Amino acid sequence: MSRDAPVPPTVGAALPAGGGSSGADRRTGCPEPGGVAAALLPGAGSTGSGEEIERPAAGFGAPAAGPDGGELGDEAYLAALASLAGMGPARLERLLGRWEPAEAWECLAAGRLVEAATTAGVGERVAHRWVRDAARADPAEIHSRHRRAGVTVTRRGSAGYPERLTGDAEPPAVLFGQGTPEVLECPTVTIVGTRRCTRYGADVAFDLARTAAAHGAAVISGLAVGIDAAAHAGALAADGAPPVGVVGSGLDRIYPRQNAVLWKMVAQRGLLLSEAPLGAPPERWRFPARNRIMAALGDACIVVESHADGGALGTATEAARRGRTVAAVPGPIRSPASAGSNRLIAEGCGVVCDIEDLLVLLDMERARLPLRLPSPDTRPASEGGAAADPATSAAILDAFDWMPATLEMLAARTGIDLGELSWHLENLNVAGLLARRGLWYERRAEGPAGASPGT
Amino acid sequence: MLARIPSAVLQGVIGQAVDVEVHVSKGIPSFTIVGLPDASCRESRDRVRAALLSSKLPWPDKRVTVNLAPGGLRKEGAGLDLAIAVALLVVQDELTESAVDGCAFVAELGLDGSLRRVPGTLSLVEAVACDRVVVAADAYAEARLDADQEALCAPTLGELVRYLRGEADWVTPALPPPRELPAPAEDLRDVRGQPLGRRALEIAAAGGHHLLMVGPPGAGKTMLARRLPGLLPPLDRDAARIVTRIYSAGDFGVPTGELITAPPFRAPHHGATMAALVGGGSRALRPGEISAAHGGVLFLDELGEFSPGVLDALRQPLEEGVIRVSRAVGSVSFPAEFVLVGSMNPCPCGNAGGPGQCRCSDAARMRYARRLSGPLLDRFDMRLFVPRPTAEELFRGEPGQPTAAVRERVLAARRRAGRRGVRCNSLLGSAALEAEAPLAAEAARMAERAVASGQLSARGLQRVRCVGLTICDLDGRAPPLRGPDLALALQLRNNPVWLDRSYAGSHVA
Repeated sequence: MSRDAPVPPTVGAALPAGGGSSGADRRTGCPEPGGVAAALLPGAGSTGSGEEIERPAAGFGAPAAGPDGGELGDEAYLAALASLAGMGPARLERLLGRWEPAEAWECLAAGRLVEAATTAGVGERVAHRWVRDAARADPAEIHSRHRRAGVTVTRRGSAGYPERLTGDAEPPAVLFGQGTPEVLECPTVTIVGTRRCTRYGADVAFDLARTAAAHGAAVISGLAVGIDAAAHAGALAADGAPPVGVVGSGLDRIYPRQNAVLWKMVAQRGLLLSEAPLGAPPERWRFPARNRIMAALGDACIVVESHADGGALGTATEAARRGRTVAAVPGPIRSPASAGSNRLIAEGCGVVCDIEDLLVLLDMERARLPLRLPSPDTRPASEGGAAADPATSAAILDAFDWMPATLEMLAARTGIDLGELSWHLENLNVAGLLARRGLWYERRAEGPAGASPGT
Repeated sequence: MLARIPSAVLQGVIGQAVDVEVHVSKGIPSFTIVGLPDASCRESRDRVRAALLSSKLPWPDKRVTVNLAPGGLRKEGAGLDLAIAVALLVVQDELTESAVDGCAFVAELGLDGSLRRVPGTLSLVEAVACDRVVVAADAYAEARLDADQEALCAPTLGELVRYLRGEADWVTPALPPPRELPAPAEDLRDVRGQPLGRRALEIAAAGGHHLLMVGPPGAGKTMLARRLPGLLPPLDRDAARIVTRIYSAGDFGVPTGELITAPPFRAPHHGATMAALVGGGSRALRPGEISAAHGGVLFLDELGEFSPGVLDALRQPLEEGVIRVSRAVGSVSFPAEFVLVGSMNPCPCGNAGGPGQCRCSDAARMRYARRLSGPLLDRFDMRLFVPRPTAEELFRGEPGQPTAAVRERVLAARRRAGRRGVRCNSLLGSAALEAEAPLAAEAARMAERAVASGQLSARGLQRVRCVGLTICDLDGRAPPLRGPDLALALQLRNNPVWLDRSYAGSHVA
């Protein structure tokens, strides 16, 4: 490799001793050895990744420590490689199947376009852009930018790498994280679902996540809107295991924007993970790849609500392929938002109706539960209800048929004046007997599902 | 040889007196108009010449200078034609000065010598600095409407000369008989279902509150909006005079024998340009749709399809009730106090609102909602979701109260507002509102909860109080505002589902 371009003398120095064995692991996840194509290319030394290692064995730093001062670790090169536009996990794997990260970077930086293109299985245009960008980029700078932003760069096989991913079929070559990685030592549950969720789905996701977190299970989700956001919000509402967010974009590219608060709180109190380096845009293809990480990290995967062709089903499939328990929350058969999740149940996956079901899936004993749940409504129920007339309130509650209803529907059913009705609905809402989302009011069970695990 | 004839030109909706001076001297025959005439004014020369010749009247083959005084004021339009022609006749001694003394002339000339109406005749007539004004026959009714000046008319230039010479008597065309104010064609009785929508209309009419209706296509938003003018009180005399002048000047419809007292209903298409909507134009500063809706309703259907710049131009007139249009050629103010009614779909597919019905992506939905800027949205005191009526409501629903009954309540509520010194509650200042709309204890607690939860801003609370006060007025109760008043006002403020913050956000924040 060093024939083509001057390799900084420190490149090999930071490589870990276990590089050979992890290279072998990598090849299992990489279908294309690149042998034939590589042999045709001038300057291609050999086909295996572990063979042409001429690095000095001495003087490497701690694998997870990264570059201190002049040392430049694999992390830096992996971060730089992942920063290239269009560098997905599969392409990165193909490059790493043949080369060490530093060598792959060298190849690109030295402008060996055809070789890189063939190895990664990409067209000339993509490779051309890689080569152009690599010539301008500085791995050391990219790495230090991550460190400045408080983002840890963890290489596969290094100490901080999540255990659940190590044995995985398609483990990410590099992970970018923010927050407390120890969260993953808890039992974990992945809660996913549609972005276009109903009030029912969001409520269930919120309550399941809140109780799961209170029982000490870390909730993993994708920080998308809808079910994901409700799950994260639920986990944050509990005084228990903090949540884990696995996102598709770079950790500085908050997407979708409306979850900015949630995003920051997850990073602060829990763990935020991404396969993409800082600055990576939320491109479409990153999300299915992200789903496999969520699936692999969770001991169980719960689909709360999913449309018939929802992305959450993809996560469920990934989880099933990994032998994780997959369960779904049943929904109304007429609700399009539950079509996918109901089909999962029809196909034989588990059913989650309350926290008991979830704990059974996770093999968690109820005895070690820390039971300090904050009440969803800390407001005293009497405050708003005092002025309201109980008979009218009862009539209004009777007018609900356990399906959401609007003010106008209720007015038609009860015949109560719109102003009076609004006033009573407001009081019932404050008292926690109703829930409101936009136009729709829904009757709540006495206390949200599974909110009090003692009963 | 010099003659001076008074006339007037239009500036916005206001007339400006202009003196037409004609000077004829020896020299190479020529005809020059000075005094900042625009193109249509400069073309007078050809119209006047043809009209004089067709009327068998002489055209001076001399050096003619026409000055339009004051010289610094830009003159637009063809309304000075007749004054120029008469001045030419005076300098040629076809007419004596005494014959035209104390008489102004406002009309356009046809090539055959006929007199034609010019836009804004009403404003022009009252602007001239003399007692008698000659206008075209078809502008006679309009000229007599509201001005102190005596209006005279003639069908053609030739006839006019005969009248002025005393060879014939002035002919007064018959005025159309005064009409009864027609009952509004669209009655609230026809609306089935939509209890909240009907109530919102009533509140909008009584309090002058701007109303935004969001709902799927075919839900009846336009139907509701069209019934709002029928609920409004007739224009008072001041407003009627202003509206009549605006209609006359902007050519929104030529006024006939009486002032316009029916509240206007204007529904411009969403392709409207800024100038068409708020007034202006590159040369002539014309009143726009918002001025034509003065005292009535401006209905913007498909609010999301209007260009954002045009919509944001509404913010200032919504606040001040007047639009000031400034251009290089000058600036004019148009009155623009109206009830704004907007309607739009909740999302591109139009079906958002019910759980799980919308097929739009979040991004598409947010893009759609963003077309309405926050400040403009803030001007709507009521944001109402209008659902599709169910089959039950359509076929078996009770017909609602007729417009006449609702209108009675609205008029009573307006009288209560009148006692507070305003035409309607939406014009109350915040200090006045504080004094006039005290909150009962239960309502105050509810308001506090709404503000504390971030659902309502301080300004939002003011507007909700204002709507609550109107609800009180409609029920014929004196303040303080009770819980139900405020609860309904709150319902009407944040109903549309897409205006709510996301579910998760409400848990975190």
